[in-house]
Amino acid sequence: MYFLLLGVITLLVGAVLTVVLPNNRVRVAVNLASQAIACCLILTETMPILFGGTALSTVLEWSYPIEKINLRVDALGAYFLTFSLPMTFLGSLYAVGYLAHDIRGPRHVGLHFALLSMLQFSYLIIYTVQNAFAFLVGWEIAALSAWLLVIWDHRNQKIRFAGFNYLVSTHLGLLFLVSAIMIMHGETNSFQFLDFQEFLRRPSIQRNIAFVLLMTSFGLKSAFFPFHSWLPRAHSAAPAHVSALMSGVIHKAGLFGMLKFILMVGKPDLWMGWYLIGVSVVSAFMGVLYTISQRDIKRLLGYSSTENVGIAGIGFGMGCLGLATDQPVLTALGFGGGILHIVNHALFKCLLFYGAGAIYRFTHTIDLEKLGGLSKVMRWTAPLFLLGSFASAALPPFNGFLSEFILYLGLLQPIPELGSGRAPLLLVIGLLALVGGLSALSITRAYGLIFLGVPRDPHYVDPKAKENPYMIAPMVIHLIGILVIGFVPAMGLRLVEAPTQMFLQLSTAPDTHLSEHVPVSLVQSLTLISAVFGAILAGLLILRFAVLPRCDRRHVTWGCGYTAANARMQYTGSSFSHPMVTVFWDILTYLTREDLPKNVFPKDGHYDTHCVDSVEQSMFKLLSDGESVVTRIMRRIPEDTRFSCGLGLASLVLWVMLISLR
Amino acid sequence: MMFYCLLVFHLAIVLIAPIFSMGLINRVKSLWAGRRGPRLNQTWFDLVRLLHKTPVYSVTTSWIFPIAPLVILATTITASLLSPIVPGFAPLGFRGDFVAFAYILGLGKLFLMLGALDTGSAFEGMGASREATYSALAEPALLLGLGTLAWASGSQSFQDLVMPDGSWFNDIALRILIGVALMVVLLIESSRVPADDPCTHLELTMVHEVMILDHSGPELAIVQYASAMKMTMFAGIVASILNPFSANSGPLSIVLAVICSVVLISAIAIFVGLIESVTARLRFRALPLFTMSAFIAVLLALVVTAGNQGVSP
Repeated sequence: MYFLLLGVITLLVGAVLTVVLPNNRVRVAVNLASQAIACCLILTETMPILFGGTALSTVLEWSYPIEKINLRVDALGAYFLTFSLPMTFLGSLYAVGYLAHDIRGPRHVGLHFALLSMLQFSYLIIYTVQNAFAFLVGWEIAALSAWLLVIWDHRNQKIRFAGFNYLVSTHLGLLFLVSAIMIMHGETNSFQFLDFQEFLRRPSIQRNIAFVLLMTSFGLKSAFFPFHSWLPRAHSAAPAHVSALMSGVIHKAGLFGMLKFILMVGKPDLWMGWYLIGVSVVSAFMGVLYTISQRDIKRLLGYSSTENVGIAGIGFGMGCLGLATDQPVLTALGFGGGILHIVNHALFKCLLFYGAGAIYRFTHTIDLEKLGGLSKVMRWTAPLFLLGSFASAALPPFNGFLSEFILYLGLLQPIPELGSGRAPLLLVIGLLALVGGLSALSITRAYGLIFLGVPRDPHYVDPKAKENPYMIAPMVIHLIGILVIGFVPAMGLRLVEAPTQMFLQLSTAPDTHLSEHVPVSLVQSLTLISAVFGAILAGLLILRFAVLPRCDRRHVTWGCGYTAANARMQYTGSSFSHPMVTVFWDILTYLTREDLPKNVFPKDGHYDTHCVDSVEQSMFKLLSDGESVVTRIMRRIPEDTRFSCGLGLASLVLWVMLISLR
Repeated sequence: MMFYCLLVFHLAIVLIAPIFSMGLINRVKSLWAGRRGPRLNQTWFDLVRLLHKTPVYSVTTSWIFPIAPLVILATTITASLLSPIVPGFAPLGFRGDFVAFAYILGLGKLFLMLGALDTGSAFEGMGASREATYSALAEPALLLGLGTLAWASGSQSFQDLVMPDGSWFNDIALRILIGVALMVVLLIESSRVPADDPCTHLELTMVHEVMILDHSGPELAIVQYASAMKMTMFAGIVASILNPFSANSGPLSIVLAVICSVVLISAIAIFVGLIESVTARLRFRALPLFTMSAFIAVLLALVVTAGNQGVSP
């Protein structure tokens, strides 16, 4: 515990120094050093816990109204800390490259880096405290620092708007969280999680309400559909490392909250599992559906986060079903797969966002329709982005596949208690398959348009631009993580063993070991497949390039007889996703701006299509049409009270009273 | 001993049958059109001829282009090792292997599309876009169908999926429904009529062939071989679902199962040839509905299975 507190002090001192020291270079160096030291100190505490050590706990005496804060680092908290801290450090390292221009310039970048330290501090609060009050404080520190980080380019009005949008949304989530905590506080007269746990273990209506409120709040934090509308704006506005950290690390706190409170609930009701699965399935599907039609790379990646938290959520829902029906295998596979997907998503999503940032620094645009052919100039970013995309589409042998594979195994697990009620779980298999197909489409589109072909708009390629090693290094480190988990699934399973064990112990004897239910051999066969595939590919490569004739001349791409083809005639992003978009036309919302050439001597015309968020669109529509909607509803209530209306109102009041009094 | 015999048979079917199934399809089409048609092993000579040629790459292409065909072939071979041809036998089998099967094929498809986009041609982009769309829509039918079989058979390994243990009515209904669904998936995945026309000469109307417009020499040979192999693999899966014998009982049953599977694969090839002779390619707008038909067949199978598993308590 001392190392942990020492780490916190290092972080805070580092943050203060970063702001007060003169000269940007010194500030950044001090900040990175303090973050690195703090990470090492804290990881020496958390790693042993993650790999089977006992949980640490201590009590901090505090003044009114909290009085005492119980700190406890259990396996779940240790898991989140173990990936959050180093990844945030890598994000800060990336920022050195991304903000290189500002660091050289007159602007004070210390504040930005200090906020990154504050983020680290907020994880330490959220993932360790056992007190609702302190938890809320940590939650708020994370939200505010993320907001301030997003509006780094605050001179741009669009970015300020995105920032405020984020701030409002995240506080809407806080509202749900506070109301849930108030319910639990009202029932237990305490802010301690231990007391909450006692209350949550007893089935009651209040517990159900609290559960739904909590899941809504955490869903908003993690950008589950339909609470994701802040996400694409915030992600596209923020600097690349902030988008990466928000998507990969900061908003994982929402998933942590879900897991934490499921642990407190202990044995969830069956409906809780189905509720989580339902919400997550919709998230996964809607998230991926939006990725196929985005023009902005960072918006695309943002929607892909909604998809991936949905996939993790399916795992949590399955785990809850397993707990509710006493199926330890299902519990282990559901929570194991879901928890592993959190880290997998963090790894590849940060990598992809860093790639998007590198593209932005290279070309000053992240509009897919203007890019192209970058794989010939961005020698490092192109392959890194490609491999990250494979992981994101859950293709073997990369890490994304491992967690999805475990989830598939869970979905295929027989549940005798449910009988034919298991059919919906099989439908989830079909849906996950569709999600996989759609994400393959969207990443092919993204990589193909950005890196392949020739530049669609040559003036966006800066001939002087170079790739920055500070930006490449974090990407390479993330890729190593992706490959290790992908090729050695046993490592991935080892990583989630202790946290999954915590859930397993809720239903079975405390000494049951995870490996009794989920043997490592289950996933080791994936190594076999990777090996077989690798061997075949290697053999074919040798055969192809050593034996068969090699290419000795090049020619222009076959234009089907047309010889004046130019770069603008390549397939565009909108046309690439068009066949799929027409299939789901009724769900997606498109804005079209057109000024078509008219008359005999037409002037310049233009035609623009943008896929916009339908949730956000309908929200704005509701706000603007709100008055007329209210008027329309009110008009239905007659002015002179009629018998039926009065009776209806009276019975409604009675019902509400009956339910609340029960 | 039995294992090695089956292994040799499996590899032989995987590696050699693609050539003959293509030959069979072409022969059926020729006979239908009143011609004699090429030899059954003509594809072999075509491939060898292509392998000896020096390829020409487009100036636009990057390193993806020469690698892509090899990855496609490697994924197809790996997937073939996971999928059964005779019920009860696949060289590689483990729990949930059919999920790995679908995703490994996905990796190959991705490289096919990336190779097409690498040339920067609008036509090839068009093909890639169509391939991405229709194969994504066919994916749920494939995995849900296999998942339903897993529920019905109580097993999670591809080779044992195909032996449902319900009553004979459920068994037959399930086999037919899933067989029909996978037949539709086969037509989409291996780009045959009515999902795509391999013989068309207009770039605007193609799916698979337009993606490989710029492939030449060995690259073209490898992609075409992989495509034929994929079709045979799916034919093998359908054959093993319809096959009444299995490799898990006595030697006589194994021999019968092997013969039955070979006959069924040939029958499927002839059937594909017949479809190509009598129907035209569907309009692209109607293709999502075509994939939907596979999904509906699978949903019916799911209902049959759920009914068989009893009502929930």
